[in-house]
Amino acid sequence: MAGTHSRNGWIVWLTFAIGLLLSVSPLPQFMEILRPLWLALLLAFWALNLPHKVGMVTAMFLGLAEDVLYGTLLGQNALILTLITFLVLSLQQRLRMFPMWQQCLVILVIFGLAQLVQLWLSALTGNRQPTLALVLPALVSALLWPWVSFGLRGLRRRYKIN
Amino acid sequence: MGVRLLVLVVLSVALMVVDARFALLKPVRSQMSLVLMQTYWITDLPQRLFQGVASQFGSRTELVAENEKLKTENLLLQGRMQKLAALTEQNVRLRELLNSSALVNEKVEVAELIGMDPNPFTHRIIINKGERDGVVLGQPVLDARGLMGQVVELMPYTSRVLLLTDTTHSIPVQVNRNGLRAIASGTGNPERLELRHVADTADIKEGDLLVSSGLGQRFPAGYPVATVKEVIHDSGQPFAIVRAVPTAALNRSRYLLLVFSDNRTPEERANDAAQAQEAEDKRNGIAPIVPATVPKPAFVGPPAPAAAPAAPVATPVKPAAHNARPAKPAATKPPAATPAAKPPAAAATTTRQREE
Repeated sequence: MAGTHSRNGWIVWLTFAIGLLLSVSPLPQFMEILRPLWLALLLAFWALNLPHKVGMVTAMFLGLAEDVLYGTLLGQNALILTLITFLVLSLQQRLRMFPMWQQCLVILVIFGLAQLVQLWLSALTGNRQPTLALVLPALVSALLWPWVSFGLRGLRRRYKIN
Repeated sequence: MGVRLLVLVVLSVALMVVDARFALLKPVRSQMSLVLMQTYWITDLPQRLFQGVASQFGSRTELVAENEKLKTENLLLQGRMQKLAALTEQNVRLRELLNSSALVNEKVEVAELIGMDPNPFTHRIIINKGERDGVVLGQPVLDARGLMGQVVELMPYTSRVLLLTDTTHSIPVQVNRNGLRAIASGTGNPERLELRHVADTADIKEGDLLVSSGLGQRFPAGYPVATVKEVIHDSGQPFAIVRAVPTAALNRSRYLLLVFSDNRTPEERANDAAQAQEAEDKRNGIAPIVPATVPKPAFVGPPAPAAAPAAPVATPVKPAAHNARPAKPAATKPPAATPAAKPPAAAATTTRQREE
């Protein structure tokens, strides 16, 4: 993509920065368990819409940032986010054609799988979560997908990000 | 694309293994955390701002009332401190008579909570003091009411604290009433600790205070940990089920105390305590009471021959350690008295004396 001049790329990074903030922002106790996977949502959107710009390497670096924030093993969230981005990228052609509700379902499945890998990894490192409630964030994220998607699409049109 | 995925997956797995097994990636992590930990600070900003605004617009009467309250509290604490100096001295003497082990004395520094761990299944918090402030791995953290946990991850200006109630945490405790030892494990519930393997016939009952026993070599002895809430004797179970409530406000405290243990000799400590108290009194214009100073080691020598050789050995080590600490007899201010709006770094360094 040497020919196309990318514009307003900083907005993409700004959204990622906001995503990082949201992923550590304090929430009431009962909502902690429902915290959406903000970074994964943002990555999924940008990977769908700007695949030449946001890919697995970006995902990996964001994941490392998340690892530092969460104090997990360096590479744990990196692996998860890379996997999510890979799945989204490999489904990209179809996913863009889907109606919104179907996109939501696909997102639910992808994020659910990612959370299961997360569970497995944290079990390996000795912090096994007691319940399968870990899959709840995937559900919340899937429900949020339409709003995130519409919002970011608006942002993209407005600033002509490509 | 598949190749790229493979490379990245292998890379992340390698990173995880290296991070889990070796200390190689620690510098990388701490460099990254320099920038990234600001996000906790930013997410904490609204609350900080709110507190700042609230303290700006706090009405005069409220402030006067609060001031009154703090003054009375201060008076009470100072009264207790006076007694403490005398008690420390007495304790030192008695211990010397018994030739028993040295006292462990701790310096305490105030830290502020800046974030909670986003993972709801772990009980960890982020505080605003890190490696550059002299925090060490495994350092105990208190609040005004009791032990809270220990430092598990160090970053340059922040650190992560594992709370007592995390499922992976256990602490050796002792019943304050009779010295019965037990292990208190976290349950994942912020209001509950469980005592493991307590015999059915053990003398433990509701309302007992559990204090740290210091046996794990990690927590200082004698700090309150929890109060026993219920003891269930179930004949079907091999052990009694003992549940306790942590005395520290684990999910409410915003100001925490980091404990630095130091290695001065008991006499020096008692003397320092007395001198600090004296200086404090002088500063406050209180007529000096009889200075509670412990006799010099030379004087103490005869009754405790074993202590005599130990003292000279300990003294040369001391000045360096002593000088390294800034403002030793600093103002003894209860942490709650620090205004909420004040920047955390300005929190006063408090010294506090305690014996084992």
